[in-house]
Amino acid sequence: MLAGIDYFIVIAYIIGMLLLGLYFKKFVNSSEDYFLGGKSLPFWAIGMSIVVSDIGALDFVGVSGQAYRYGISVGNFDWVGSVPAMLLAAFIFIPYFWRGGMYTIPEYLGRRYNQKVRTIASVTWILFFALDLGVLFWASAVLLNVLMGWPIWISIVATAGVVGLYTYFGGITAVIMTDVVQFVIMFIGGFALVFLSLYEVGGWDNMVDKIATMGPEYRNHFDIIQPQDTKSPFPWTGILFGLTFVMANAYMIGNQSIVQRCLTAKNEWHAKASMIFGSALKMFIPILVLFPGLMAVVVHPGLADGDQALPMMIKSILPPGLVGLMFAAFFAGLMSSVDSLLNSTATLFTKDIYEPFIKKGADDKHYLKVGQITTLVLLLIGVATSPISSDFPGIYVAIQTFMSYFQGPIFAILLLGIFWKRTTEWGGLSALVIGIGFAIYLNVFKEQFFTIEDPFLYISWWSFLLGFIINVVVSLLTKKHSEERLKGLVFSSKILVENKKL
Amino acid sequence: MFNFDWLSGVSQETAKMIFLSLYALIGLLVLLLPTEYVYQGVAKEDRHWWNNLKLWSIAVLCILASIYNHF
Repeated sequence: MLAGIDYFIVIAYIIGMLLLGLYFKKFVNSSEDYFLGGKSLPFWAIGMSIVVSDIGALDFVGVSGQAYRYGISVGNFDWVGSVPAMLLAAFIFIPYFWRGGMYTIPEYLGRRYNQKVRTIASVTWILFFALDLGVLFWASAVLLNVLMGWPIWISIVATAGVVGLYTYFGGITAVIMTDVVQFVIMFIGGFALVFLSLYEVGGWDNMVDKIATMGPEYRNHFDIIQPQDTKSPFPWTGILFGLTFVMANAYMIGNQSIVQRCLTAKNEWHAKASMIFGSALKMFIPILVLFPGLMAVVVHPGLADGDQALPMMIKSILPPGLVGLMFAAFFAGLMSSVDSLLNSTATLFTKDIYEPFIKKGADDKHYLKVGQITTLVLLLIGVATSPISSDFPGIYVAIQTFMSYFQGPIFAILLLGIFWKRTTEWGGLSALVIGIGFAIYLNVFKEQFFTIEDPFLYISWWSFLLGFIINVVVSLLTKKHSEERLKGLVFSSKILVENKKL
Repeated sequence: MFNFDWLSGVSQETAKMIFLSLYALIGLLVLLLPTEYVYQGVAKEDRHWWNNLKLWSIAVLCILASIYNHF
C-alpha cells in the first residue's frame, strides 16, 4: 500500500521523534523536572499537547466510522463536549491545582477528603492506564504490520523502544514537546485528506445534497442536535446531561494525563491559557476526524462496517507521499497516547503510592529514579500484556467504557470538594464507592433500564447524580472538617480578587 | 425516567436554543470574572488586550455558538 516516499516519511518521522525526545534529557535534574517539566512550559505547547494526546489513531478510525453511520452529531464530543469543560477547568480548577503545587488529581482528593479516597482514585487510574498501554502497543503494532510489513513483535518492541526511551529520559517535557511536532503532523496529514476529499465529492454543498437524496436513514445526518428518541447513542439529552455536565468535566478536570500538562505551566496565566488555547484547537478536531467519514458516505456508499470509511478514503484519495504523512499522523496519535499514559502512570505511582506508603521522606533524586524505573516497568507490562488485545478484540472499547463509568462519581466528589466546605471525607469516600458500584450495576442491566443502543452518556449522568446526592447526605450526617484543614482547598470568592498564594 | 422520556416533548429547535443559551450563560460568567484574576501571572506592564483570557474565551464561545447555530 505504501510507496518508497511513504516509507521514508514514516521512518524519518519515527527517528525524528526519538532524537527530539532524547534532546530534553538534559533538562531533567529533579523529580519536579521529570513530572512537572520544572514548571517552565509555555501555554501553546501545553495546549497542543492536550489536544493531540486526547485524540489517538483509534479515535481517527472510530470517529470517522461513527460519522459515517450517525452523521455530524459525533462532533458534539469535541465541541460542546470540550469547550465549556475546558473553560471551567481553566478558570476554577487548574489555578487551584497549580497554586497548590500539586502533582496529581488524587493528591488534591487526598488533601480535601482523606488518604483512602486518594488511594482508590489513584489505583483505579493506574490499573486502567496500565491496561490501556498494552492495547495501544498492540494497535500500533497492527498498524505497522499492515503498513510496513513488520512482524507484530518487532513492531511492538520498536514502538515501546522509541516512546519508552524518550519518556524514560526526558519525562513530561519530552512528552509535551514531541506532542507539539505530532500535533503539527496530525493536522497537516488530516487537513490534506479533508481538502482532497472535498475536491473529490465536488465541495461541501454538493456532498450535503448527495447525502440528502440517499434515503431516510440519512435524514438527520447534518443535525448536530439529535432528538431525544433517536436510536443513535447521541440524543440531545445524553449530550447535555451526560456529556456536557459530567463526562466532559470529569475528563478535563479529573483526568491525570490532561491536568498534569497544565501543571507544567511556567506561571498561572500560562496554566489557564493552555486550557483555553487547547479548547480553540479542539474545535478543529471534528474537521479532521469527522469530515472524512461524512465524505465517505458519498465516495464509498453502503459500507457494512463504518470503521472502514477512513482507510477506504486514504486508499482512494491520497497520492504517494501524503499517504506516508497520513500514516505518520496515525502513528503520532498512537505515540502521544502512549507517552501520556507512561508519564502519568509513573507520576501517580510515585506520588500517590510509593511516596506515602513505601518510602516517605527520601531525597528528591530517589523519587526521580523511582519515576524513571516505574516508566520502564510500565513499558514492560505494556509489552507483555499487549497480546491480550488479539485474544479479546473488544477490550479497547471495554476499557474506555468502564473508564467512562468511573468519571461520574469522580467528578461529583471533585465538584463538591472544591465548591462546598461542608463536604466530609466520609461523604467523598461513600460517593466514590457507591457511585462506581451503581455505574457498574446500570451497565450490567442496561437492557432493562435504557432504550438507546449504547447508554454510556446516561450512565455517567445517573452515577454522577447518585454520587452527588450520597456525598451531600453522608457529609451532612458526619463531622465537618475544620477551617484550618480546608485552607486553600475550597473555592472562595476571595480567591478571584486576592493575589495570595493558596 | 433513566431515558429522559419526560423531555420527549422538547423539539430539536428548542434543544438547540438550550445549548446556545448555555454558551451565552458561560460567556456571561466569564465576563464577570475580575480582570485582575485572568491576568494573574502577567506583569502589570505586559498586560494587553491580546493576552486578556476573557477575550480568548469569548472568541472560542462565539465560534462554538456559530457552529451550533449553523448545524
